Amino acid sequence: MTSDTMSIERYLAEGGKLSAPENTPPRYRAELMKLMASFVDSSLAGAAGFADVINAGPGIKERIAAAKIVLEKIDNADKVLRVMADFGTDTARYANAHPWAARLPRDSDIGAKRTDQDMRLAVFNYPLQGWGDAVVMNLLMGLAVGVQLEELCRVSYQPLGDAFREIAPIERHHVDLAIEGMERLTDSADRAELQASLSYWRPRVAASFGQEQSDKFARLQSLGLRHQDNASLRQIWQTRTDETLAALGLTA
Amino acid sequence: MPRFHDLEVTDIHKTIRDAVVVTLKPVNGSAAEFDFTQGQYLTFRRDFDGQELRRSYSICAGKNDGVLQVGIKKVDGGAFSTWANEDLRVGDRLQAMPPMGNFFTALTPEADNSYLGFAGGSGITPVLSIIKTTLEAEPNARFTLVYANKGVNTIMFREELEDLKNTYLGRFSVIHILESDAQEIDLFTGLVTPEKCAELFGSGWVDVKAAKTAFICGPEPMMLGIAQALKDHGMDEAQIKFELFAGNQPGRAPQRAAAAAATGAAKTATITLDGATRTVEMDAGKTVLQAALDNNLDAPYACSAGVCSTCRCRVLEGEVEMATNHALEDYEIEKGYVLSCQAFAISDKVVVDYDQ
Repeated sequence: MTSDTMSIERYLAEGGKLSAPENTPPRYRAELMKLMASFVDSSLAGAAGFADVINAGPGIKERIAAAKIVLEKIDNADKVLRVMADFGTDTARYANAHPWAARLPRDSDIGAKRTDQDMRLAVFNYPLQGWGDAVVMNLLMGLAVGVQLEELCRVSYQPLGDAFREIAPIERHHVDLAIEGMERLTDSADRAELQASLSYWRPRVAASFGQEQSDKFARLQSLGLRHQDNASLRQIWQTRTDETLAALGLTA
Repeated sequence: MPRFHDLEVTDIHKTIRDAVVVTLKPVNGSAAEFDFTQGQYLTFRRDFDGQELRRSYSICAGKNDGVLQVGIKKVDGGAFSTWANEDLRVGDRLQAMPPMGNFFTALTPEADNSYLGFAGGSGITPVLSIIKTTLEAEPNARFTLVYANKGVNTIMFREELEDLKNTYLGRFSVIHILESDAQEIDLFTGLVTPEKCAELFGSGWVDVKAAKTAFICGPEPMMLGIAQALKDHGMDEAQIKFELFAGNQPGRAPQRAAAAAATGAAKTATITLDGATRTVEMDAGKTVLQAALDNNLDAPYACSAGVCSTCRCRVLEGEVEMATNHALEDYEIEKGYVLSCQAFAISDKVVVDYDQ
C-alpha cells in the first residue's frame, strides 16, 4: 500500500475516476453538470423535433423507425438525468423546464451559440423541413453523436461513463436506421432536395463540435472530462460522413 | 431528495486496533429506505461544537447478510472517525441518508464470472460487501482479492476474509500484500505498484484475462497504478470500477454574516470563476447568473429554473434572495450556496464564487 496521498486534481489529471458526487471538487462538479445538461437538453430537444416528423414518414416502416428513435432519445436523456439527480437535480421538474420542441426560423444564423434558455447544442435550434430533411439531419447528427460518445465514454465521472456506454450502441443503431432511410430516399426522392438538405445541415452539425478554445479544453482535459480536442473530433466526423455519403452516392 | 433518518447502533466491535464495525438498525419505519446494493455507502451527519460534519462510510455487509454494517477507520485528526471509534456506544442513535453510490455491477445468478478486487487499507470495506454478495448471488463466480496493508496487525476483516475462503472453497482467494512485514513469498511484500501488479498478473497469481470486472478502492496513487497495470494487461476501461475513499471532503468554513440591508437599484457583483475575479454592474432585476453571462463570463447553468443546481455558486459577501429552489439542500444554503439563476442581489454589493 502506498502511503502518500494525492490531491483530487492530480488524481484526475493522471487519469483517475470519481464515482460519487461527494468526491467532486466544485469546479469539476460545475463542468460535469454542464456536460450532462448539454446532453440531456440536446436529446430532449432532438426527440421533440423528430416527433413532429413521425407522420411525415412515407410508410409504416419509416414511421416505426422515427417513433423508435424519438422514444430511445428520450430514454437516453433519462439515463443521464438520473446521474444528475445524484447531484440534487429535481428530474421531474427538469424534464418540463423548457419547451423542447421550440425552434428558431430556418434561416437564422446563430453559429455555435447556445440560446439563453437551455443547454441544447445550437444545431437543435433549427427546424426540420419534411421527411427527407429529417433523415439527413438524423444521419449527420447521428454520426456526430457517435464520435462525441466515443469521447464521452472516457469521462472521469464513472457513473456517467457507464451511462454513455449504455447509450452508445443505441445511438449507433439510429445511424443505421438513418442510412436505411437514406437508401430508400436516394432510390425515390429528388436528389437535388437531399443535396440541399445536406448543404444546410452539414455546416450546422460541424459547428456543434464547438470552437477551438484551447484554454477551456486544457482545463476540461486536466479534469478528465475531455480527452480529444474539438478539431480532432470534428475531423473524425468529417471523414466518416464523407465515407457514408460516398457509399450512398451523395456528396456534400 | 435524500433525507436523513435515525439509525440505532445495535452492535459495535473493533476489527483492528483503530477501526470499528458498527451495526445499525433503521428506526421509525425507514427500513425500506436502507435496502442497499453491495458497494454502497452511508453519509452520516453529526454536530461537533456547533458545526455540522458529514462523513461517508462504506457498507461492509453483504446484501443478504440481513444487517446494515459500516466500517469506520480512525483517521488522524478526524473528528467523526475518532468519535465513532472512542465514544460511540450500543443504543446510541446516528443520522444517515439512505445508501448511495455506484460501486457495483449487476449480478446474474446463472453467469460464470470471474472478478478481481483490489483494496488498500480501509478501502476493503465496500470490496468486502461486493465479495460477500457476489459469491452468494452467483454460485459459479470466482473472486480474487489483492489486499494491501502496512502489516498483519492493520488488516481489517482478516478473520472474516479467512472464513469466506473456507465457505467458498476454490472460488475465493486473497493475496495479502504487506508493506513492512516479510512473507514467505517475496512477491507479497512491498507496495502495490504497477510493477508489482505486472508481476502478479504475469506469474499467474491473478488472471486478468478471465476477469469480467475489477473493483479498486484505496489511496489514489495506488488506484491509478493498478488501473494502469490492468489496462496494460488488456483490460478495458469500462471493466474497471473505482471507488475513492468517501468522507474525504475538505472542511468548509462557515458562511459569513449577511451584509446590511440594501437600498437603490444599481448593484455590483464580484464574481469569481475559474480562478479569475471580475466586478460587474448588476441590474436589480437581473439574476447573478444573468449578470455573469451578460459580461461574457462562462458561468455554468442549464435549466435556469432552479431545479438542476448546475449554476450553484457560493455567496461570500452581501445578501441574495432566491426566487425558487428545488435543488439545494438546507445544509448547502446554510453554507452560503445559492442557485445563481434564481439569485437576486438584496445588498448593494455581492461577492460570489463559482469555484467553491
